Amino acid sequence: MTNSMSNLVKILESFNPFVEEIDEKEIKITVSPDKVVAVLETLKANGYSHLSLMTCVDWIDDNQLELVYILFSWEDGGKFLVSTRIDRSNPKFVTVKELWPVARFYEREIHEFFGVEFEGNDDMKPLFLELWDERPPLRKDFDPRDYSRKKFPDREYEKDVIKEAKIFRGEING
Amino acid sequence: MGEVKLFFGPNHPGMHGNFSVHMYVEGDVVKRARPLPGFLHRGFEKLMERRYWYSNIALIPRICVPEPDINEACYAMGVEKIAKLEVPERAQWIRMIVLELARIANHLMAVGGIGGPIGLYTAPQWGTADRDRILDIFEALSGARVYHMYIVIGGVRKNLTPRIEDMIWKTMDYIESRLPDYENLIFKNRILHSRLKGRLILTREQALEMGVTGVGLRATGVEYDVRKVDPYLFYDKVDFEVPTATDGDAFSRVYLKFKEIPQSIKIIRQALEKMPQGDKVNVPVSKGSALRRIVPKGMAYVHIESARGEYGFFVVSDGKNKPYRVAVRGASYPQGLYGIEKYLPGTRIEDVPIWLATMDVCAPEIDR
Repeated sequence: MTNSMSNLVKILESFNPFVEEIDEKEIKITVSPDKVVAVLETLKANGYSHLSLMTCVDWIDDNQLELVYILFSWEDGGKFLVSTRIDRSNPKFVTVKELWPVARFYEREIHEFFGVEFEGNDDMKPLFLELWDERPPLRKDFDPRDYSRKKFPDREYEKDVIKEAKIFRGEING
Repeated sequence: MGEVKLFFGPNHPGMHGNFSVHMYVEGDVVKRARPLPGFLHRGFEKLMERRYWYSNIALIPRICVPEPDINEACYAMGVEKIAKLEVPERAQWIRMIVLELARIANHLMAVGGIGGPIGLYTAPQWGTADRDRILDIFEALSGARVYHMYIVIGGVRKNLTPRIEDMIWKTMDYIESRLPDYENLIFKNRILHSRLKGRLILTREQALEMGVTGVGLRATGVEYDVRKVDPYLFYDKVDFEVPTATDGDAFSRVYLKFKEIPQSIKIIRQALEKMPQGDKVNVPVSKGSALRRIVPKGMAYVHIESARGEYGFFVVSDGKNKPYRVAVRGASYPQGLYGIEKYLPGTRIEDVPIWLATMDVCAPEIDR
């Protein structure tokens, strides 16, 4: 952990985080859902102003969804992974589009692929998929093979090769 | 004058892949713009969860078509970070050479490709022809021209032979000798100046607020390059500069890409000189055959500087022989979605393809 990063971790101690060191310059901070926005605001004010990625992981065995915000600092080159876990059966969270405008699109994507509702973000139209009629596809209980079998069933047909060859040779009329 | 709805794309010569923008125009001026991605959505993130760690190498170069090597590099580095795997030193230097060659190939195509949307049709021919010389190197190295699948978990697939090293030296000399011609043909051309100078200006505050990386950000005067700020591989052991500009317009963005080519050549030459000799270029992540290899539990985010900006992979492992989750940060996600909605209104119709070309909006990496 670099000096500036450990100083920041000390500042964040009031939020009661679980700190994990992935790498010298990469730290994962797990907090409860109600403290995420405050943690993100603190980090943004201290130089971690670039939202690299916002994503979601489906932990189906724990019945939880993990939201991960990856923040990067252009000044000291460190990365903070701010993570929180929300209930999987009724996933709801707050938007961070005031902090990072581009988060609006990440939230739309997570809504589409994981089914998370973001309060305050009213633009939740599908972004990538068209006419989707199943559960959100990046959830672990969605099986793409079953879906495509159901949606596009195998066609019943038997090819009569000998008849085709005869037509081709001109022996019979097709 | 009434408002008319126009469709840009899904097919257009000025961009990579299929991407659509719905424009509401009055006369020639765009009043509102709405990005419509999804034409190239192939579900890579789901597909990766269903394949073995090693078989994913064959799948992921397809995420970004013009510059495929960054995907393999990011994924491999992410897995190595979780598994705490030491990669042989020679393999890391070879990775650096491959990534810089890919950057030159992509920049040549971008510098040439700007001829498409502005109507300077010699440039694409030159760019594509010189890029082919680099694809020849890749063919000799990996057997494939576009999707190399050369960087694997734990190193690279094959060693760099003296014949290929010689080929790289010669090609670098050739491309360096071509650069003055490019300068004369493209960057002193009046068409390019009148179409790009002072157009589509992005200020530093706007770029940082939007989360733009790469040349779009460096054209506003900041030296923010992941290779310098958060060095990976051996970028801290080579000497190179990060070109910047202060105008923030479309011209300086294209010109910066051109100015990065000599820096990449410089890095490749240093890497070829500093690289240790040896045969060991890869190590397995665990014992057993490639399909049974497992990666310990953990998660990591790895990002590298692609030709278009920060490109990252977020990899999660649950200790099995397949990835639990892989998320991709496409470098053009901010400017391709938020940027179009926010900064295109007020510009003219003919500027829309210039935004997509100079900000490097790459549809396949947005859609995945």
